[in-house]
Amino acid sequence: MAGFLKVLFRNLLQGPSTDPFPLVPETFTPDRLRGKVVINQDLCMGCGICSYVCVAGAINIEKREDGHTITVWHNSCCRCAACRQYCPMHAISLEPNWHSAHAEADKYKVIEQKTIAYEPCSVCGKMIRPVPEATLKKLYVHNDDVDLNHVRSLCPSCRQLEDARRSAGLPPAAEKKAVE
Amino acid sequence: MAFDDLLKKNSVRSPWLFRINAGSCNGCDVELATTALIPRYDVERLGCRYCGSPRHADIVLITGPLTTRIRDQVLRVWNEIPEPKVTVAVGICPISGGVFREGYSIDGPIDKYIPVDVNVPGCPPRPQAILEAVALGLKIWKQKLGLEA
Amino acid sequence: MDTLLGILHMCIFPGGVFALVIGFLFKGLDRRVEARLQRRVGPPLVQPWLDTAKLLTKETLIPRTACRQAFLMAPVVGFAGMAVCAAFIPVPGVFDGLYNMGDLLVLFYLLPIPAIAVMMGGSASSSPFGAVGFSREMIIMLAYETPLLMILLATAMLVGKSLNGGDWGAEFSLLKIVEWQQVNGSLGFNPVMIPAFLAYLIFLPGTMGVPPFDIPEAETEIVEGPLLEYGGPLLALFHVGSALKTFVVLGLGVAMFFPGTICDFWLINLVWFVLKCLALMLISLTLVKSATGRYRIDQAFRFFVLVPTMLALCSLLLVWLI
Repeated sequence: MAGFLKVLFRNLLQGPSTDPFPLVPETFTPDRLRGKVVINQDLCMGCGICSYVCVAGAINIEKREDGHTITVWHNSCCRCAACRQYCPMHAISLEPNWHSAHAEADKYKVIEQKTIAYEPCSVCGKMIRPVPEATLKKLYVHNDDVDLNHVRSLCPSCRQLEDARRSAGLPPAAEKKAVE
Repeated sequence: MAFDDLLKKNSVRSPWLFRINAGSCNGCDVELATTALIPRYDVERLGCRYCGSPRHADIVLITGPLTTRIRDQVLRVWNEIPEPKVTVAVGICPISGGVFREGYSIDGPIDKYIPVDVNVPGCPPRPQAILEAVALGLKIWKQKLGLEA
Repeated sequence: MDTLLGILHMCIFPGGVFALVIGFLFKGLDRRVEARLQRRVGPPLVQPWLDTAKLLTKETLIPRTACRQAFLMAPVVGFAGMAVCAAFIPVPGVFDGLYNMGDLLVLFYLLPIPAIAVMMGGSASSSPFGAVGFSREMIIMLAYETPLLMILLATAMLVGKSLNGGDWGAEFSLLKIVEWQQVNGSLGFNPVMIPAFLAYLIFLPGTMGVPPFDIPEAETEIVEGPLLEYGGPLLALFHVGSALKTFVVLGLGVAMFFPGTICDFWLINLVWFVLKCLALMLISLTLVKSATGRYRIDQAFRFFVLVPTMLALCSLLLVWLI
């Protein structure tokens, strides 16, 4: 009891340690807090590993002929960051944003949605997701004679042919127009 | 009439909170205790108080994905809360089922049975987010009293 | 005319309105100071008023299986008992107390009324938690009424013996006790009465139902027990009754142990009286509340029998012997 009284007296002297948060907007947020998921649409290839590992089934990838749409529903995301861990392109990150309260009417509107448009292959005309510049630089780091802009616009099979040609010392194939 | 309005205007400054655990893993409940009990996020300064009885409650905080075993009890307790009440779904489980969605023992999400007013997703949400949800709940309470459009 | 004046005293000063204002102010201060002791900010001082306003706007639900009349009457009984009780409290230098003949005994009979009202409501609500709360309230009431009776007897006998010139006697008029103390010094400083005062300090948390003696309304064990089924305006009435009771028990303590006045002007005496009540509350309710947990009901009963009853008995024996 005496020990408690000492603590109480000390508390009284020290004054309140309450965060004035809801009355003023500033509050403490840790730098590495796992908050809302953010998708970098320049990097996302739509491989689907994120929706495969997502425990809460919050990620949906819709593939179409001319692109893909990746959607994260914050109301189902459990902030485990498995998607960030497994994303081979490092396209997913979790920003330290915890402002998640919303009215029931907005229940299905709190989403992170990115649509990535596909482009036709410059040789065969198939719709492909162009490989991001940074990734290409990493892939061809030992082949600095390659024209990255040209490679970027090729579909995987055309790129394979191209690589084979280059290995054989042949000049690059002439660019064909897309299917007439 | 003016007295009635005065009462209503002041009533939103005394929201009493009531927790319903609809099969939660206790993570959100711990977070709720955090917002209330530790000095850092003192909810009492908003006039809030955790009450033990559903009859005293104004803002209902529901955690958990609504398991089939507890569904009827949750609905019964929720119905015992006098109007006007504001329902807040805390955590992803009551909102969407979260990681338990489509499980064999899960009957959620909770808005299949209960008209939810405020959602605060997170697993668990941060204490500040819960405070924000309570503040949003107060706004909705005002609307229910007819004080705000 | 006397009846009318009595009713006025019960409704406005010191009962009714005045006691309510002071009681709610004290409740607000209590919560605020408790928060400060725990390094929190705490609610605004007007919080008890806001809570009451809120409860008045809520709908009233009555359980289907409850005994309707008893359920509805219980808060009214508790409130009315305390409003009457407050009129008997003399404010030294301001108000002499209503009907000052044997009012100590009247107070002793009136003080348990809120507890009885809570028991009545709890048992009428037909809830099992209410039943558990009822039995606990009964046990703790028996535990704290015994020392209270002994404290009152010790005070009455001390003053009575002195007024009778050393012979056997008891003075049950609170006004006479206050007047005697203004002449002969406060009883709180009288070595014979110090054990009784300590017993009164322990009686206060017991009767107000704050930790460590909030066993009948334990939120975390029996979900507020007898008050479980109450909501809306009925609960507000219980809260108002509790605020009045705060004023009554603190005022009784000040009148019995420290009724000194500092000047002849009534307003200053009134403020002085309120300040003394406040000090009593901070020491015996707020500080104890924030420093302790909750007893089990058997522990609380044993504690009340062992400590305050023995202290009060000690005072009573000393008064009897000296």
